[in-house]
Amino acid sequence: MSLAILSCLDDPSDLVRASAVSRSWREFVRRFSLSKNLCLKLFHRLSSVDRITEASNDRDEEESSEAGPSSLMDTRVLEREHRAYALLARGCKSSPIRSCIAEAIVASSTDNYPAESILNTLEERDKIDNNTPSYWSSTGQHKTSVPETLLYKLKADLCVITEFSVQPFQAYFQPGTPIYSSHYVRFRLGHHNANSQEKKSESGKVPPVESNYVWTYTSQEFPMAQENRLQNFKLPEPVLCVGGYLLIELLGRVQTQEMDGLYYICVSHVKVMGRALAKSFRVVDPDESGKFGLKVVSYSDPQEMDEMEEEAEQSPQELDEMEEEEEQRHLGPVRNPRLSPMRNLEQLLNFLRRRPRDVDYVWPESDDTDSDEEV
Amino acid sequence: MSKKNIVLKSSNGIIFEVEEAVALQSETIPYMIEDDCANDTIPLANVTGDILALVIEYCKKHVVVADGDGGGSSSSSQEDLKNWDAQFMNDLDQSKIFNLLLAADFLNIKTLFDLTCQFVADTMIKGKSVEEVRRTLNIEKDYTSEEEAKARQENEWAFK
Repeated sequence: MSLAILSCLDDPSDLVRASAVSRSWREFVRRFSLSKNLCLKLFHRLSSVDRITEASNDRDEEESSEAGPSSLMDTRVLEREHRAYALLARGCKSSPIRSCIAEAIVASSTDNYPAESILNTLEERDKIDNNTPSYWSSTGQHKTSVPETLLYKLKADLCVITEFSVQPFQAYFQPGTPIYSSHYVRFRLGHHNANSQEKKSESGKVPPVESNYVWTYTSQEFPMAQENRLQNFKLPEPVLCVGGYLLIELLGRVQTQEMDGLYYICVSHVKVMGRALAKSFRVVDPDESGKFGLKVVSYSDPQEMDEMEEEAEQSPQELDEMEEEEEQRHLGPVRNPRLSPMRNLEQLLNFLRRRPRDVDYVWPESDDTDSDEEV
Repeated sequence: MSKKNIVLKSSNGIIFEVEEAVALQSETIPYMIEDDCANDTIPLANVTGDILALVIEYCKKHVVVADGDGGGSSSSSQEDLKNWDAQFMNDLDQSKIFNLLLAADFLNIKTLFDLTCQFVADTMIKGKSVEEVRRTLNIEKDYTSEEEAKARQENEWAFK
């Protein structure tokens, strides 16, 4: 009966307090994995968590798992699961909703790099100082059906995404000030595929960048208006992103450029809102079936963590540590003291892969191009 | 459907006569009928008269609506029923609630059992401190102070 009552609780902090009430309640909460059930009710995706580790004592746990009697082990596993899942439910429900994009990685095509780079979509305004337009532009196509994608990294391995916004770009400097929106937009969430590097070397060919990622969530196709405003695409319900990558698919071209008659898609700003659980959890080794390990980084309150996170963004020390780990996942065991040049290099490489022909492109250093006038 | 009545007898000897459909919301009573321990009266040794009255009140209300379901139920009647349930629980004091919970468990009336559990969870545990929960539900503290301090410290965020 206690179980039936305790199962009715839907707030993880109630569950945690309930397990401090008495030994039998504690036993109930742990043995019947009530906090895990709460998480699964919130996000079914979390049923793919196949193990939970803690940052501090990975090694201890592994050693003791061979030694200790199994009943004691079970208790410890249940205890750890309870703590982790309670924290997870807390994070998913209560940490504040913020902007979730950490960085822009690559676009499926770019007309002029870097003047029309995907990096510009992180900037809210469509025009920055000294009147430079700020937007990403695809290459031109004859067919309206050729899609484009924009790939972003989110601020955390685990993010509860509540809404997406995209602002198509209006080329205010072109005659007729055309708006290069797309017909539809679709969002996919997923993780980096650790095996993708091997595949590449086997086949000898370079696959498209997206194939380095596994997309575990695909949204509906939202119609996009051909209007120059930040268009909000609210999800029917919040979605859990496992792995921290976002792909925006722009489907169907609507606008030609007068001077070449080709269809383009241009975006001035992309915004994603949600709860980033970077300070509490990391996702470990997600595989293609979607299973993943969950590593608890800190048991502090995710609600308050977020305020600290704001400060952490200014103190690069901590961030670098996290990012370094991140880099290695992308680029193998190369250690990079600084993040940003490396990321630019990755972007460049990605960019070059997409440009089989010889193209004059401009190094980021020499920024002044005369391409501002063309999309 | 022939209207057959069933006679229930509470632990303190109070007799209730109800329609079969009302009584059959309990999944326990059919077994008692089958077991033939009740050609005339079904004794319910675990349920007192005042609680049995509440159980029957609940079952009567719900059997009416269940009938309505057959003829196409409206969402408003579901809504009404929800409000009725809420009011029903609100009017009870704590000891009645616990006894009702026990009775719903014994008689195996799932909707009433769930309703009561949810009510207990919402009103006596949700948002309450550990001490309040112990006091309200009369639970003995069987933790040592160290254990309790450790539990608090491990999940500090939940104790604010």
